[in-house]
Amino acid sequence: MAPENRKVDENFISKMRIIAARGFKNSAKGLSMMIGHEMTVSSPDVNMVPLANIADMLGGPENDAVGVYLRIEGNLSGQMMLIIPYQQALEFCDMVIDIPPGTTQELGKMERSALSEVGNLTGAFFLNAIAELTGISSQPSPPAVMVDMVGSILDVVVATMGAISDHVLMFDAAFKIGERNLQADFRIIPDPATLEKLTIAEIKEQ
Amino acid sequence: MSEPMSSVGLGEMRVSNDPSEVLIAFGLGSCLGIGMYDPVAKVGGMIHVVLPEQKSGNDPNIGKFVDTGIPLLLQKVVAKGGIQSRLIVRMAGGANMLVSPGLSGIFEIGTRNITKATEVFKELKIKIQKEEVGGQVGRTVRLYISDGRMTVRMMGAQERDLGAV
Repeated sequence: MAPENRKVDENFISKMRIIAARGFKNSAKGLSMMIGHEMTVSSPDVNMVPLANIADMLGGPENDAVGVYLRIEGNLSGQMMLIIPYQQALEFCDMVIDIPPGTTQELGKMERSALSEVGNLTGAFFLNAIAELTGISSQPSPPAVMVDMVGSILDVVVATMGAISDHVLMFDAAFKIGERNLQADFRIIPDPATLEKLTIAEIKEQ
Repeated sequence: MSEPMSSVGLGEMRVSNDPSEVLIAFGLGSCLGIGMYDPVAKVGGMIHVVLPEQKSGNDPNIGKFVDTGIPLLLQKVVAKGGIQSRLIVRMAGGANMLVSPGLSGIFEIGTRNITKATEVFKELKIKIQKEEVGGQVGRTVRLYISDGRMTVRMMGAQERDLGAV
């Protein structure tokens, strides 16, 4: 059944929000350790969104950005993407490589590699938290880094999900570093079969 | 720029004979932006297709697919006064954004879109006059209804005529 035809059950969404919130929190913890700055989770949510609009939510399809793309593999499957506006991605590189702010001027091989590690860690920490919470384990694929317009980066998701439905269930949050005014968007689009698994999963209280 | 811009989003198409209008498909990755223009009637249309073919046959969104979208765009351009034999057809997009050893193979939708579009135009006996397709780069395309100019822009670069490399 196409997701938009499914009656979006409030209980189901609430449960996904609990799972997503735990995952995002853990990702922020991992990121904070990696870059040596406290990162906070901003507006974590789970919603059914139209595929046609997903690029608009990031300031428009022609904005320059970096996207780190990972597949979810193992007992769960789906797609994850960390999206950072281009200028802010340069600042992230400064922090990850631990060089003075403003040093990174372009994204070469080393910078792309640093950003792919950021994506990898964000995804791994998310999935680890889900595994702890539900007992279902999965891991991220090797990351792929794209530096391009937001619309073209998100075409990867649009093209893979578009044949199934015009709407997708998206887990979405932003990671922020307050004092630097930096933001990275993290989006997870689980495959439909994975949603079924999560629906029946028993959540372990901690 | 003073022209009114009409954004042609995912799976959308737009046809115009308003000389002040510019049709734009922003940030095409694996999607294709296809423009048709009749220089005599000064009618043009653009479509932003996402996937090569409508497999299930029950998706109402005809503009989303190469195989159903192109014939419908042609029909609409003709309905607005365009003549098929005069049409200038250009296309851009169809990139394969993901190139990664761990992820290759399943993401060649860009290439499949291009192949399908080429087939559809061949069946319609319409020549594709210019194209900038494939590769690993996002593109924004514009079609100016006033003079039929079609341009492409990539990240960090200036807008320039499509095919003028």
